[in-house]
Order: sequence, then C-alpha cells, then structure tokens
Amino acid sequence: MSKRSGAALAIPAWAWLLIFFVAPVAMVIWFSFGYKPGIFGTHANDVLSFDRYAEAMSPTFFATFQNTLWVGIAGTLLCLVVGLPVAYWMAVKASPARRGLLVALVMVPFWTNFLVRTIGWQVILAPEGWLSTTLQQVGLIGGPLDILYTRGAVLLGVVYNYLPLMILPLFVAFDRVGPPLREASKDLGAGKWTTFFRVTLPLARPGVVAGVLLVFIPLMGDYITATVLGGAKGNMVGQLVASQFQTAQNWALGSAMAVLLIIVIMLTVAVGALVVWLVTLPFRSRNRLVIGDAANAAPARPVTTAIAAIRSRPAPADEEVSA
Amino acid sequence: MTDSLPTVRILAHESAAKVIGRELNRRRFLSFAAAAGATGFLAACSTGGTQAAPVATGGPLESKLSMYTWGDYDAPDVLEAFTSELGPKITLSSFNSNEEMISKLVAAKGTSGFDIVVPTGTFIPQMVENGLLQKLNHDLIPNLEHMDAAFVGRAWDPENDYSICKAWGTTGFVYDKTVITRELKDWNDFLDAAQNEASGKTSLLDDPAELTGLYFWANGVDWNTTDPAELDAAEDYLVNTLAPHVSAFDSYPGGAAIPQATHALLQAWNGDARIGILESGDPDRWQWVLGSPDTEIWMDNWAIPTGAPNPEAAHAFINYVLDPENSLAELDYIGYHTGVAGIEEAAQAAELPMLDLVFFTPEQIETMNEGAVTEAQARIVEIWNATKAAAGE
Repeated sequence: MSKRSGAALAIPAWAWLLIFFVAPVAMVIWFSFGYKPGIFGTHANDVLSFDRYAEAMSPTFFATFQNTLWVGIAGTLLCLVVGLPVAYWMAVKASPARRGLLVALVMVPFWTNFLVRTIGWQVILAPEGWLSTTLQQVGLIGGPLDILYTRGAVLLGVVYNYLPLMILPLFVAFDRVGPPLREASKDLGAGKWTTFFRVTLPLARPGVVAGVLLVFIPLMGDYITATVLGGAKGNMVGQLVASQFQTAQNWALGSAMAVLLIIVIMLTVAVGALVVWLVTLPFRSRNRLVIGDAANAAPARPVTTAIAAIRSRPAPADEEVSA
Repeated sequence: MTDSLPTVRILAHESAAKVIGRELNRRRFLSFAAAAGATGFLAACSTGGTQAAPVATGGPLESKLSMYTWGDYDAPDVLEAFTSELGPKITLSSFNSNEEMISKLVAAKGTSGFDIVVPTGTFIPQMVENGLLQKLNHDLIPNLEHMDAAFVGRAWDPENDYSICKAWGTTGFVYDKTVITRELKDWNDFLDAAQNEASGKTSLLDDPAELTGLYFWANGVDWNTTDPAELDAAEDYLVNTLAPHVSAFDSYPGGAAIPQATHALLQAWNGDARIGILESGDPDRWQWVLGSPDTEIWMDNWAIPTGAPNPEAAHAFINYVLDPENSLAELDYIGYHTGVAGIEEAAQAAELPMLDLVFFTPEQIETMNEGAVTEAQARIVEIWNATKAAAGE
C-alpha cells in the first residue's frame, strides 16, 4: 500500500516531465529527420533522412558554438569565483538572524524582467551613459567608456543575471555542513584554509555541482544577455536555432541544430566533469581513508586511526572512502 | 481500463455493500462521461472556428478588436480615440518578422483570433494563395478614396482586394559626423567607412534581406537574384571583408544606439533613424543618407485574416485610420509615410520635424526596389548567420 501511494505522489512530476519535456523533445527529434517542403511550409516528415544533420554541421555552427562555449565556461567560472565567497559568508559568517534577509536580497533582481534588467546595463554602459560621463569627469578614463559590445560587457551581464542561481545552491550546501564539523577540524589542529579546503568544500560539493550546472546549461541556450550587451561579439548558437525556426521557417534544420546542440552540451558537461575528476585526483588520493589497515596509517593521522579503530573488522578488502 | 481495476475491498456492513457497489459504478460512469465530454469539447475547439467565420456586411460593430502588428507601430492616441468614438476595445499583439506572423496564422488554421494583421506587401500573394487573408469589403472603407494613387494597386495586390497601404519606408544609413568627417553619399561610401573610420563601430540591420541587399545595392545587382554565383560573391564579401568591422546587428538603432551614440555608422530604416536623431542630445552630430545607387522600398499593409472574429470592427478601424487627420497623427508618431494623398503638405503645415526622412522625391522613389520571397531565402539566411558568426570571432 505505502509503495503504491508513494508512486501516486510522483504522478504530477511524471506527467509534467512527459508533457513538457519528453513530448517536445521527441517532436524536435522527429522534425529533425524531415525536410522543408517549399518556401511556405515549415517541415514535412514523409521522407526521413539524416541530411539535416549534415547541413547543421557547418563551419558557421561550430564557429558560433565556439563563441557560445567561451561565454558559457568563462561566465560559469566567474559566477563561481564571485558566488563562492558570498555564499560562504552568508552561510557561515553572517548572523543567522539576517540570513533570511540576505537570501531575499539575492533574489531581488529576479523581481524585474530579465530583458529589462539587461537593457538597463546597456544604458549604464553606453559611451554617452552616466557611468561614462561620471568616470570622465572624475578623470578615471580619458575618453568615452568603451565596454559596451565587447566580451567584457557580456561577462558582466552574465554574472549579473546568473549569480543568484550560483549563490543559492552554494548557500544551502555551506549551511548544511554546519559549525560542529568546522569546530572538530579546528580542535584537531587544522587551520582556517585547511578546514575550508579539506572539510567544508568537499562536503559542499553537491552544491557546487548544482550551481555550476544551473548556471552553465541555461547560459548555453541564452542569447538575450549576450546579444544585448555584446552586439556582434555576443553571437550565440541559440540565436542560430531561433533564426531557422523564425526567419528561415525551416523547422527541420532548426530541430537538427537543436538536437546537435543538446548532444554537444552533454558532451561538454561530461568532458568538464572528467577534467575536474582528473585534476582533483591527487587531492582525493591524499585524503583517502583506508579502513581496516590502521597500523600503517596510525602515526600521522589521528582522525583516521580513531575511525579505523572504531570500525576495525577482521581482514576486510581495501575499501576506499573519499573524504 | 475498467477490466484492469482491482476488486474493491471495503470494511462495511453487509447491508451497505449493495449501495456502495452501485455508487462506485455510478462514479466510474460519471468520470467516463466527463472524459468523453472533454474530448468532444476539445475536438469542437479545433475545428469550430473555420466553419462559422462571420463576414462584414456593414452591421453593428463588435465590442472587441484584436490587432497583430509590428511593435510600437500605431499612435496610442489614435487607438484610444477609435475606442472612445466607435466602441470596440483594441488588443495589440506584436511580431518581429512576417515569417513569424505567417507561421502563427498557418498553425491556427483560421482560429488565431486576430482581426487585423499587417503583412509586408511582398508576402501578400503567398498569404492569399494559402487562404490566410479574406477579401476586404470596400463599401465599408470609403476613406480608401483618400489614398495616393502611387500607393494603391501595387503588383502584389493590383485591385487592393486584400490589403491597403499602412505605411511604407526605405533603407539608408546614419553616421556620426564627429567620427566620420568626410561626406558619405552612397552604399559604397558606407562600406568603405565601415572598414576605415567606423571599423568596430558599425551596426547593420538584423535582417537577412537587408544584409545581402547592402552588397547587392552597392554593386548594382538585382536584390532578388537567385543566381548562386551572385549569392556566393555576396557571402564572400560580407563574411570575409565586412564582418570583422561590424560591432552589432540591430534592427532598431533609433531606440538606443543613436541617442546613446554607441556606434558611428548605422544602417537604418528611415522612420527609425528619424526617431533616433530626434531623441539624440545632439541631433546635429548625425547625418542621414538615403541608400544609393539602389535601395529598397517596403510597404506594410492593413489586412484581415481568414476567420477574423470581429470583421465589422476591423473594417471600421481600417476606415478610421485612413482618415487624413488620423493618418497624420499616425505619421507623426511612427515617422513613416502612410500613403494618404496630400499628407506631405499636411505634415509641412503642421511643422513636423525632419520631414526629409519621411518624404522622398519621385527620382529617389525611382531607385527603390521591392523585395521578394524567393527560393534563395534559405541561402540568404545562411549567409546572414555566417556573417554574424564571422563578426563574433
């Protein structure tokens, strides 16, 4: 009975996924095998082929994708670098009574429409805008501000628009680590930085992963931020797909591009995860905890010994637990 | 589905079993009936609109009017005055391209709910061929007599059976005289300045046909060519020579780019350029140049889609805006010639600013060509995307 009612609770979620995710993606995949029947038609599926994929894999697609990937990766890293200290401060240093207020403040930008916020930055950064005139009057810059329609402006817009999506999961993750573990680490002789990098950050890893994915994936499909602030330098692959649906009226080719984009993004995420796994391999092996072989580890690692002593069992196989 | 339901086990008094069983059956029946009814209702929705579309005969006006047009393309005063004088409440929706509007009408199959759409002339024959537009009842639009003969009976709708000119415009460019100190006269000067003084400060219209047009107009090639060699030459020039100097693709530079001086050289439509220069803090800094030796003429038109739910109100509205006084108010707001006869004199009498960006001489109009939707459309979009990719590197 309990199992069945548990499944019933998930029905809305499954229905949602089926109607708003599986069905549209299936349609896009289906369209991508079709073709454009004439000037006026958008798609036809009576002859199926992979020809649209061959058309989609043009130098234009890859050049645009390269630009998109650059914005995606640089934007995500910048959000991480900016968001991590803020989230840590909110979860650890700020007074608990103020945390609710701080989270609300992080959300404030979301109260305004995405496009309006971005155009706001366009107005601020314009060569004739108030920022430019103020900086010139103060004497910080010699000529008009020359940042609008550069990649710098794109990154600024990305950090502004996506930072809350990075801060919130990080805040939750840091918050869940809790003070007792940090205290224990301090008691056992670890400094602030060691505690952060060997206790807090590894435990907050799910939050870091969630934040990175929450920023990276929507960012790869977003072309509003990039076009409004980057002009020609903000050419994104999402726009290429949109141009096939809206301007060229070629839903078949647009769908093939969309499917290709999904695949390439998944590959990028997989490659990114692999790179992170390889880079952190030495650190993880240093933190490796070998249970059941307490004698060898005893002198250098009091913590390890303690745990190993509690859990010692007769001759188990080498079990690895990453700290 | 009913067969697969498990037997119901309930703890109840024996005497109640019969009633409960009957109740359960009744509920099951009701839920089926509701589902069947909903299916029928949905089916009715999907076909209902096409059968019973009303036709305008001069009867009383409906209480609503839904317009599907380009963004910010009508004077709010005129719309409000129409509602307060004649009654129908206007709902506005906007599109960014003819293709977008057409695909919505095609997908809705006559149930879009729009009463007025504003397609560009060159798209009208195909829309008519595909049954997307209904014939206008000229008896209900007496103000049609005010139209200038030059702007009725165009090739794509010779008898104005389906459409009446709403506004027309052309393409040229604007440059910042503080950056480009020499005089620019035509498209070749534009292309030259883009690669010199205005390199990295040049903005082009974000529209495939205007992009290839820029090359074809400058080089005296037919704008509507489908010759692959010509298209290849255009692509080579735009991608390899021009793109590295382009900093933005912006269809409405008058909104922000000209007032904020973010670029020094901007391809623009005449009405938008006029708005931008008027809103600039330093209008004397900007110079407008009509594209030459050739450029385009586009004409947007009032039309009524098939299946429009409020055709009487739609006809009344078209008639209302063709009234010379209302037409002048529209021109004052959007900055495009509305095609009404004598409007140039009226605009001069009203002392509207910068009319040289609204009215053109017959010799200038002679150099303006109409575009066409051809089988090269896909190729032109490809060139547009390739140019944007090259400009982004």
